[in-house]
Amino acid sequence: MSPRPQAVTGLDAEPALASITLTWQPLGWDPLIDHYRIYAVRGESAPDGRNESELLAKTVYPRFVHSDLDPAGETWTYVVLAVSDAGRRGRPSAPVTAASQPSVIATGDEVAAIGAFDGRTLEFLHAPSGYANIPEQFPDALIEYDQGVDDPGTAWPYLLPGPGDAWAGRTAYRARWTLTLDEAPSADHDLAVWLVDTTRLGGILRVSANEEHVVDIELPEGATRGSREGDATVPGSTLRRSFHEHVVPAGLLHAGENVLELELAEGGWVAWDAVGLFARS
Amino acid sequence: MPASAAPPALSRRRLLQAGGASAAVIALGINAPDAVADPPQKAEDLFALGIASGAPRPDGAVLWTRLASEPLAEDGHGGIDPHPVGVRWQVATDVEFSQILRHGQALAQPELAHAVHPRVEGLEPATEYFYRFLVGPQTSPVGRFRTLPADGAEVESFAFGVVSCQAWYHGNFTAHRHLAAEEELDLVVFAGDYIYEYGITESNLWRQGAEVTAAHTVETETLEQYRLRYSLFKTDPHLQAVHARVPAVAVWDDHEVQNDYSGTGSSTGIPEDLFAHRIAVAYRAFYENMPLDVEALPDGPDTDITTGFDVGSLARFSLLDTRQFRDPEPVDEADRQDEQRTMLGAEQEAWISRRLESSPTTWNLLASGVVLAAVSDDRVDMWDGYPAARRRLLEALGTASNPVVLSGDIHKHVAAEVRADYEDPDAATIGVELVCTSVASDGDGAKDDEYTEDWLRHEYVRHYDGRRGYLHVRLSPEEMVSSFHVVDWVEADDTAPKQLSVRYTTAVDDPGLIQV
Repeated sequence: MSPRPQAVTGLDAEPALASITLTWQPLGWDPLIDHYRIYAVRGESAPDGRNESELLAKTVYPRFVHSDLDPAGETWTYVVLAVSDAGRRGRPSAPVTAASQPSVIATGDEVAAIGAFDGRTLEFLHAPSGYANIPEQFPDALIEYDQGVDDPGTAWPYLLPGPGDAWAGRTAYRARWTLTLDEAPSADHDLAVWLVDTTRLGGILRVSANEEHVVDIELPEGATRGSREGDATVPGSTLRRSFHEHVVPAGLLHAGENVLELELAEGGWVAWDAVGLFARS
Repeated sequence: MPASAAPPALSRRRLLQAGGASAAVIALGINAPDAVADPPQKAEDLFALGIASGAPRPDGAVLWTRLASEPLAEDGHGGIDPHPVGVRWQVATDVEFSQILRHGQALAQPELAHAVHPRVEGLEPATEYFYRFLVGPQTSPVGRFRTLPADGAEVESFAFGVVSCQAWYHGNFTAHRHLAAEEELDLVVFAGDYIYEYGITESNLWRQGAEVTAAHTVETETLEQYRLRYSLFKTDPHLQAVHARVPAVAVWDDHEVQNDYSGTGSSTGIPEDLFAHRIAVAYRAFYENMPLDVEALPDGPDTDITTGFDVGSLARFSLLDTRQFRDPEPVDEADRQDEQRTMLGAEQEAWISRRLESSPTTWNLLASGVVLAAVSDDRVDMWDGYPAARRRLLEALGTASNPVVLSGDIHKHVAAEVRADYEDPDAATIGVELVCTSVASDGDGAKDDEYTEDWLRHEYVRHYDGRRGYLHVRLSPEEMVSSFHVVDWVEADDTAPKQLSVRYTTAVDDPGLIQV
């Protein structure tokens, strides 16, 4: 009989927007680990690793992203244990508590948004897999969206292609979002860019406001599946969501018509979850 | 990969090297004559996943079974309690087992999902034998295998089937039903995608009348999920019938781990240090579920499934691993054309070159998980993504007599001539490639589809059929007869009759495909 797996050590919890990333020390190959079991309870009291109703997930990787957390922030406490090829369970790790970072979609006041912040591309044009239509419909690589006039299902394709996308002509597509403010903002705003997936190429999403550079968002390497699948919330989804929230200085916005432009300057496409501009409460 | 034609015997060195399971566990799963183990507590059928033989040699074969009373138990352990179970095996010359020639015992252990891999030795070459397993009072179905002819022996005929791409959820294994009923059959070659890792959901469950529980709806990632996936596919009675009929040898393609993975890299952006853990459990599940020699038992995320064997002086088979050692998908055309790009890795490349150059046999067959022929520059998951590596392999093939490439992956029957240089229209034909369609992947299909033209525009591609089926090949010292069989449907049920899509002969020393 092979030995019982060792207790998991080095459990660490990294808070992020609407998620908490757990990592721990892998246990090597002998015995082969069938999977790790992650037990979690809300708050700061620790799960005991025996109550199966507290089983949050199983994974073969020494890493797990606890996603879909309340954008306002949630606090959880975790333990992780290993199961061997023979089905034997190791002792649980020491518990770790973490609180996810609050998102501006919960803490701010929505000024304007395209789509719903829900982990899905499904409300957008050509979703979930009609990407081949995008270069046909937007031959100039320019997507224009007028807030209050256009809607996501007809004017905002679910993907923004980039120079890494041969199918879209290897072009840096721009998404130009026009919105009207009743008055010039007195305080900084926040731009939330939530993505359902990106490609293995990663890339840079360049944001400008009224032709002034705001930020270059560095895109993570994604699953390259969001061109064909539109729902990252289904169990076992391999889509790799990412969340980006950046300040738009008050001075870059003014009363009347404003143009926010998102250009995929480098890399492969992004699959939108939603984009929103938020005032600070 | 062994340097000689015959795989090496189970060695102490190999046992001590093997990681991921202790040497004792591995050894007992192969041979445990003195082990005393309690019989399983339950009385249900323990052989619900069938039996198999494989890794044939002139003096024997590996026998395989994996005990399961509840094959779809979601922890991947088949409903067997986590204790060792003694599994006796018998080999006889007759189906009634009145003359038992060899017998032994292996230990089915929870570490290996209660799979056993005993190797029977000391048998006569080119002889048919019957085998079965016994656990307590229970007896398995009877399987049969034919030992290979003696090294160098003259062989009048050797027949084998080729199958690939068994997306269980896309349809019935009607192709296996017909293959198991072939009159002449000595071996089956699984050319990759024995399982699929995808979640089985409403959108891809086209096998009418089939239902799966929630545990099957997600992509496989953990060992228990891979084990469960093998169990689901192996419950198919027609697949079991093929395994019981003849020894199986297998190469893998991508879906035994993850769609389009390359070497140590995931196709979905999972970092390599993490993905190694998934590779390790996927490779382990492959070993546990196939009739393989111990050399194929992984050491963590590394393993060696390349192997080969000779059929007397008639044929040499070489089984390639076209996944584990390949470079990643090219980032651009310059990368694709890079002379250093490898599909097989340096060690395997040297191994196959040696095997081909030194081969004494009339026919030389290579099983590759992906298609060798040049089809289009954007089919970068196949050898088309590795043109320099293909040129090196073609050079090696040119040193052997009558090379034949067996491949799968594309879910279509394709018959093609192998050219010394696919870019030179005047290049000589040096062999043939027989691409086997899927058993079930892509459902019913049709003879012609949107990809027909891609393939048939090449002069060296002679046939295309997009239906499901299998390939039957008969080798003799004079010719090879390759029969591409199809069935018209697989989604509704398993009753579709077998049809011949096309049949070719290839004469010895005259490479090409002559339709008959």
